[in-house]
Amino acid sequence: MLPPVTRDAQLINELYNVVLALAILTFLVVEGLLIYSIVRFRRRRADEMPEQVHGNRTLELVWTVVPAIVVAVIFALSVDTLGRMTARGTLSNPVAHVHAINDQEARRRVERAQPVDMVIEVIGRQWIWQYKYPGGDGVITNEELVVPANKNIRLDMTAADVIHAWWMPELGPMIYVNPGQMSYVWFNVPPGEYIGQCNVYCGVAHANMISRVKALPQAEFDEWYAKQAAATSTATRPGDPEAGKQLFMNSSCVACHYIEGTKAQGRVAPRELTHFATYPTIAQLDGFENNAENLARWLRDPQSVKPGTAMPNLNLKAQEIADLVAYLQTLK
Amino acid sequence: MASISIPLPLRERAKTGLLGWLATVDHKKIGIMYMVMAFSFFLIAGLLGLVIRLQLAAPNMQIVDAHTYNQLFTMHGTVMIFLFTIPMLVGGFGNYLLPLMIGARDVAFPRLNAFSFWITLGAGLVMFGGFLLGARSDASWTAYVPYSNKTYSPTIGMDIWLLGLILLGIGSTLGAVNFLVTLYTMRAPGMTAWRIPMFGWAMATTAVMILLATPVLTAALIMLVADRNFNTQFFSANQAQLWQHMFWFYSHPAVYIMILPAMGIVSEIIPVFARKPLFGLRAVVISTALIGLLGFTTWVHHMFVSGVDPVLERFFMFTTMVIAVPTGVKVFNWLATLWGGSLNLKTPLLMCIGFLATFVVGGLSGVMMASIPIDQYVHNSYWVVAHFHYVLFGGSVFGIFAGLYYWVPKITGRMFDDKLGKLHFLLMLIGFNVTFFPMHHLGLLGMPRRIATYAAGRGWETGNLIATIGAFLLAFSVLIFILNVLKLRNGQPAGDDPWEGNTLEWSTASPPPEYNFREIPVVESERPLFDARWRTSHLP
Repeated sequence: MLPPVTRDAQLINELYNVVLALAILTFLVVEGLLIYSIVRFRRRRADEMPEQVHGNRTLELVWTVVPAIVVAVIFALSVDTLGRMTARGTLSNPVAHVHAINDQEARRRVERAQPVDMVIEVIGRQWIWQYKYPGGDGVITNEELVVPANKNIRLDMTAADVIHAWWMPELGPMIYVNPGQMSYVWFNVPPGEYIGQCNVYCGVAHANMISRVKALPQAEFDEWYAKQAAATSTATRPGDPEAGKQLFMNSSCVACHYIEGTKAQGRVAPRELTHFATYPTIAQLDGFENNAENLARWLRDPQSVKPGTAMPNLNLKAQEIADLVAYLQTLK
Repeated sequence: MASISIPLPLRERAKTGLLGWLATVDHKKIGIMYMVMAFSFFLIAGLLGLVIRLQLAAPNMQIVDAHTYNQLFTMHGTVMIFLFTIPMLVGGFGNYLLPLMIGARDVAFPRLNAFSFWITLGAGLVMFGGFLLGARSDASWTAYVPYSNKTYSPTIGMDIWLLGLILLGIGSTLGAVNFLVTLYTMRAPGMTAWRIPMFGWAMATTAVMILLATPVLTAALIMLVADRNFNTQFFSANQAQLWQHMFWFYSHPAVYIMILPAMGIVSEIIPVFARKPLFGLRAVVISTALIGLLGFTTWVHHMFVSGVDPVLERFFMFTTMVIAVPTGVKVFNWLATLWGGSLNLKTPLLMCIGFLATFVVGGLSGVMMASIPIDQYVHNSYWVVAHFHYVLFGGSVFGIFAGLYYWVPKITGRMFDDKLGKLHFLLMLIGFNVTFFPMHHLGLLGMPRRIATYAAGRGWETGNLIATIGAFLLAFSVLIFILNVLKLRNGQPAGDDPWEGNTLEWSTASPPPEYNFREIPVVESERPLFDARWRTSHLP
């Protein structure tokens, strides 16, 4: 297993190792008996006749009762681990807590479950995760979830289309993120970068639906957040094609778009972007001329331009849009 | 061996040539057609698996694009389960062997039997024909809603896939009815419950499971067809779990439908090649029935991370773990049958040993995964891919090959080349483990299943490369088997009873005449042929 960084992940890891040890022991007993039998009891004479044993009640009782005990132990250990995962109060087992997920009572239980320092709303959609920060600054990020380290974080998650799954192996239990329902995950992690990806098949670019968590010390996080909040409303400098390219290649754009000779190998979008700047229109929409102003409008909110398009609203910040426009206009 | 003379029923003379196959209602010919069909689908789905392994051999491979890849793994799973494993074990071995083993001249409803086969083949052709013509589903074999509804899977491929499965369910259900009636009413005189061969018990349990489980899947499939085409709202997008419940209510028992007949095969072969009775016969029968019963109480373990009531989850964790006990009983009984025996290490027994050695790994990883906290780590990862291949390849496929090496001499009257068989066994055992064992590790490193490609740098390169190499070794071993089949034509004549068998099929000619037995045998023990063979000579 990947090294656990939360206590929940640690508990899973410890349980796994104990159960694995029991499994290996059983494996060795079975394979040992099997190999010994093959060697020892080979037929040596064509007419040899072994003793005709039909059974042995004592033996049979032993290999019914002993495995039953082993299984009971594994069951007890698992229930105990689940209990500790839920009872500790900081990092909980979301599945165990919340079942009737839309129910108000369940919601109240989530609120009571443990003190949290920050709640982030997460939307899973084909094929990105979007993170909406509290605080009314309208800060939304795609792709990377930046959080303060060593704080109790809760993610309130739902899906916009099909089922996705939140799986950060180092951060604790996995959970499905279902459309029309809420799933909750708690974690508290040291500074560092963690990676995971969607773990329920969700369509053509399922393999590209990566989730990243970056935990920064509080001061650095505050700095990052202030920058995000500022950049959300206005661009601070003119669009930079290089920054735009960086953003494009390191974000979910590559899941769906194709640009020859780059990391962007997605084949979801109907038209490749290799020579985007030479196209007369954007999104093959009649009359929607391919110019900087229209492109910015498209990137800001694709649905308002072409309802029903597969291109999601990525909640891009003004600066990001400016950079992307600058980059896309270099694709001749 | 005693026998009674019952006149052969009057029936039109058996037709020969192609029409003899197309119009046959003979359980043996139908069984052979099931086997040929299923084995062909095994080869096709195996090829799809090889493309999958090529694509994953290294990071960022572009052998096929993501869309095609998703169609490939969908078809690989669907075909392996519904068009290979189940038709091979139930339709193929079940049909061919059940009447012979219980001393009957055919199944209870021969025409219905033919209908079951043709509808199964039809379903396969619909599904695979659609695939070849471009009407492909990419929703994976589990087809979770809402991904499989009209919004996210708008193409006709999804409907074709659903239609194929509905038809397969009909064939499967009718076959199960047929086997149960046959077993209940057509056993030879003297064949009391405890003298029914173990394979018969396995098939009886399997048939009950098919009867109880398949209608639920069929209902779910029809509901989804209605949702897609008639705007019903059975599976509304906000109730993601309903489809999963109905799907797994069939598809978990389906695992036992695929493993119990293979266990039945192993339970027949080991006693013959150890020259000992099956150790604890009654315990094995009861365990089989218990596995069948408990198999219906575990489906929610596929949904431990879906968002299900926590009390319910603990209940299903318990039932899932409990099922390990009867399974363990069977494994130990097989080991005890080998113990102290006189082991004739021919290919059929080696395949059974391969079954035991690898199935145990899948069984143990199953218990591990039943633990909810562990499942919350490994669910849907390559660890799970490893687990179910250890059960379904390590278990079912080794069992199927054991059965083929054992009974094809009866079916064709010719012996396989045993040296070639041993080579096949050895390469398959190695190839299988090299392919699937590293997948445990990949899962623990965070690799999800059903991804069309992956980026470098997550530690997945080595494991994937090894698995791909193993897959080609595995494919090569299957080529050796095909060579062995081709060589059958010149094989040694098998005679009636080449292995010193225990059960009634070995008392008739190889291949058996159209009505199996001229005189119906009278059964006086659980191993009628064994007792007849040794009674007169030197039984200690």
